[in-house]
Amino acid sequence: MAVQSDVIDDAGPYDRAKALSAFKLGDVTFYWITRLSAISVLLILGGIIISLIVGAFPAMKEYGLSFLWTQRWAPSADPPVLGALGPMYGTLVTSFIAMLIAIPVGLGIAIFLTELCPQWLRRPIGMAIELLAGIPSIIYGMWGFFVLGPFLANTFQPFMIKIFDGVPVLGAIFAGPPSYLSLFNAALILAIMVLPFITSISVDVFKTVPPVLKEAAYGVGCTTWEVVRSVVIPYTRVGVIGGVMLALGRALGETMAVTFIIGNSFRISSSIFAPGTTISAAIASEFAESDGLHQSGLILLGLLLFVLTFFVLAAARLMLMRLEKKAGN
Amino acid sequence: MSDLSVSMSAAGGLPHAAVLPEAPPKVTVRNLNFYYGEHHALKNINLTLGANRVTAFIGPSGCGKSTLLRIFNRMYDLYPGQRATGQLMLDQTNILDPRLDLNLLRARVGMVFQKPTPFPMTIYENIAFGIRLYEKISKSEMDGRVEKALRGGALWNEVKDKLNASGLSLSGGQQQRLCIARTVAVRPEVILFDEPCSALDPISTAKVEELIQELSEDYTIAIVTHNMQQAARVSDKTAFMYLGELIEFDDTSKIFTSPTDRRTQDYITGRFG
Repeated sequence: MAVQSDVIDDAGPYDRAKALSAFKLGDVTFYWITRLSAISVLLILGGIIISLIVGAFPAMKEYGLSFLWTQRWAPSADPPVLGALGPMYGTLVTSFIAMLIAIPVGLGIAIFLTELCPQWLRRPIGMAIELLAGIPSIIYGMWGFFVLGPFLANTFQPFMIKIFDGVPVLGAIFAGPPSYLSLFNAALILAIMVLPFITSISVDVFKTVPPVLKEAAYGVGCTTWEVVRSVVIPYTRVGVIGGVMLALGRALGETMAVTFIIGNSFRISSSIFAPGTTISAAIASEFAESDGLHQSGLILLGLLLFVLTFFVLAAARLMLMRLEKKAGN
Repeated sequence: MSDLSVSMSAAGGLPHAAVLPEAPPKVTVRNLNFYYGEHHALKNINLTLGANRVTAFIGPSGCGKSTLLRIFNRMYDLYPGQRATGQLMLDQTNILDPRLDLNLLRARVGMVFQKPTPFPMTIYENIAFGIRLYEKISKSEMDGRVEKALRGGALWNEVKDKLNASGLSLSGGQQQRLCIARTVAVRPEVILFDEPCSALDPISTAKVEELIQELSEDYTIAIVTHNMQQAARVSDKTAFMYLGELIEFDDTSKIFTSPTDRRTQDYITGRFG
């Protein structure tokens, strides 16, 4: 190195080789910083999994696989009886209903904003969506508890209960009595909370559709709706589903707002107007007063949420691959 | 001038010599003006597109030829602030009529763009999609229509074994012919080509040009092109535009051999543009 730079020193005042070697040091540093950052993610993830497994081990040894299908949750019995069926059911049902509401509404807002909205209305709506994402979840919880819960219990719930009274299946899903605290209320709050994720990501990806592609679709005589359905959404489906998965991840794990309004009941009821609980709500409401096997059971619940989220997101990814195959890619 | 005739004959000469009789008008443009907001982009355009003829629009960039083309199917309507005045008749229909059903207009006036624009679906669906917008037909009938359209786009032999592959998996030239097939499938009366070959290699270009000539037997065609040899090869009539004005509009052979306007002559001999 020294010899080389001497040679170049003689050649001229500007020492390119020396400058390059300085850059090289920078490059190596940069490479290692980025690499360590990436590795740290794996380390943290691994650490969390290991500590969850260690914490959950006593409960795993005590209950085994029956933990998964036991509905009873009696931590103060002797010996304590713990089963995860109620919280797992609540987590899946609330997230499912939330996505059922949030996906069409979120996509609808995104389509309106990108394809139909007059220019002057675009910014106010866009900013409102972003503000929605900025509201802390505890505020949603309080609002749900004091405002939305009573409102739904007095209006929407009695209405649905009356309509579907006596109808098979649906009658059981919308069964009374109305309640301030219910799976449905929690799902509705979750839907509002995840809406900004779906909308803002969809808006961003809808904007990436080349104008000429849309013109081509209009050019064969499509209406705006047909352009959106057949060109914009298929073209951007990877991005849209990414947004939906992000929203789903949030819905599965959301704790504070749900804990406020779900009622924290471990009993499984066929009605979505009945109180229930989710994994994260159960942990949040009981962890502070737990010890021994009870605490280990709660940690096991946390581990289950981890696994559940993993499987749900993996399934979503699988669905995406199927879609792509169908489109001929 | 002699240079130009040599290069034109080298490129295949003038297939449509001036022997073609005057065609009945399909599209008539009268006193057409167009504005992008305040900018006056087209000034008092008057011309006719003859039925089953190919009309080429040439001129330097920014002269308004693509703008003119986008008025024929009201594509400018998608963008606020753009407006046209004057009269633009497709047979007996006034294209500029604000009450006109745009979807039906665009079924009658198809468009092929500068860049290939296959929809994000299979090759089969790319064609069937447009047909389904207007007609409810059985699967077997649809198969027939798709095949016919792909044959019309001179693409059938290349894609018949992979109709379920994505339209995006084709090469650029194939994609462009797919777009032409898609346009033809809807059975329009007029087809607009907006620089259809500018993103294609020479062989694909030759195929598309050949296709345009074949299509002119059934359709009225307007083509915007930067390539003057291309205009000379494919068109019956040529319109030279400059700074938003129609400078000269005549038989292609006349424009390229004895233009009357000085600016036309300067442009086709390469003195500017």
